Amino acid sequence: MFDSDCAIKISGMSKAFSRATSYRTLFRLLKGTLLRNGAPVGGFPALHDINIAINRGDKIGLIGNNGAGKSSLLRLIAGLSLPNEGQIEVRGQVTLLAALGMGMIDELTLEENVFLYGAICGVDRAIIKSNLEEIIEWAELQEFTTAKLKTLSTGMRARLAFSTARHIAAEITLMDEVLTAGDRNFKEKCLDVFEGYKKSSRTFIFASHDLDFVKNVCTKTLWLERGRQRAFGDTESVLTEFQSLGKAKS
Amino acid sequence: MRIADHKYLNLWREMTRAQFKLRDQSSFFGFLWSFLNPLITVGLLFALFSAQLSNQIRYYGLYLLIGIVNYTYFSNATGASVNVLQSMNALTRNGVFPKEVLVLSSITTHTIDFIISTTLCVLIALVSGVGLNAAMLAIPLILILQLTLVLWVSLLLSSFFVYVRDLMHIYNVFLRLLFFITPIFYGLSFVGHGIGHFVLLANPLAHSIMFARTILIDGKLFDVKDFFFMFAINATLLVGSYRIFKRLEPTFAENV
Repeated sequence: MFDSDCAIKISGMSKAFSRATSYRTLFRLLKGTLLRNGAPVGGFPALHDINIAINRGDKIGLIGNNGAGKSSLLRLIAGLSLPNEGQIEVRGQVTLLAALGMGMIDELTLEENVFLYGAICGVDRAIIKSNLEEIIEWAELQEFTTAKLKTLSTGMRARLAFSTARHIAAEITLMDEVLTAGDRNFKEKCLDVFEGYKKSSRTFIFASHDLDFVKNVCTKTLWLERGRQRAFGDTESVLTEFQSLGKAKS
Repeated sequence: MRIADHKYLNLWREMTRAQFKLRDQSSFFGFLWSFLNPLITVGLLFALFSAQLSNQIRYYGLYLLIGIVNYTYFSNATGASVNVLQSMNALTRNGVFPKEVLVLSSITTHTIDFIISTTLCVLIALVSGVGLNAAMLAIPLILILQLTLVLWVSLLLSSFFVYVRDLMHIYNVFLRLLFFITPIFYGLSFVGHGIGHFVLLANPLAHSIMFARTILIDGKLFDVKDFFFMFAINATLLVGSYRIFKRLEPTFAENV
């Protein structure tokens, strides 16, 4: 049953990826890959038996070591991939920020890229147009407005992309390690934005290795370990458990 | 996710605009290059075959131009779409929008070129002495027929390329063959009534070219029944290939 307050409900969901290479040739295809109904040969499990319910307005932290299945889970929620077992029910429009600046083009100017990236993130053109100056100002790139993107450093690009992405209005926003680029000043500015999200009725899921960030911003946390749901609940208790395990291992 | 949603239309527009800007900046001739290439081909074929074929085919230069313009559109638009999901793999993998937007934006720039080229064909027909006629009002129908053909081929190819990586090479060979099995520089009578005739009849591109020539060279309307038959076939194939594309779409992110 999908509760009216529920934004995302995942029940008994498992996902395995095929080990077979996707670089198939027509010869291999004709030889039988499709004739065997495309069944994956010896898939490796990415996620196993995930069961969570996320309410509207929840700010969820998604933690776990590399390869735990965080990005896969975000893609599944975004509908970019289908589970092998179980169900994922999502109520509301979803946006996934997987890599800041994804789709921006080096040869275009900053302004042109803001419009393009805004469109990729699903932000209305009118909103971008009316906020163009503010977006570039927030990114502290006023003197580069007509410069090509390729003249910017990685950190500057991240600032521009994040500044644009602040205008996303999707009901559910999924962020995958968006704060890996940029200097301390940029991170502090981003944290101010996330502070603002705390009061918003929108739902967020942040996949992050930054436990301080998760502690400050997220109301609940999901801890994944090798594709399995290790814990889901109140951020403080999940983080305490996560950190105590880390200490025990070291 | 509906493609007609205004935010996806906005994305389509922005991606098309970006491609136009990139092309304009990429070379000294910029935008003109897309027209120079077919014009050079027309010039070469005219120099080679006009002595022999000008007596049999009226307005041979215009005849060639119409064939090349239509072939170039088909070949450029479908050729660019084949690996679009792979070349934009970050967006295919992480973009939460219908992936046909990537295919459509790749086709749109070529479609605009085609509209401009077809308008040039009309102007050249008028200058050549074909004369203004009411049948020319049906030119947009040929554009729609060509677009339908390009769309279904592109959707099918781009989705299959995700799984069959040598499709690009196979398709390039096919395009080379298509140039010769399409009546671009020769007339229908050239192939006689043998198997070649049936090959031409089975080639949807050949029909579009013949419809365009009927209007721009003969100055009359094409056979309406034939036209709607071809349109019905292409529209049906478009619906079919769109369904295949949407069916495969949830697997693109894992396979690009």
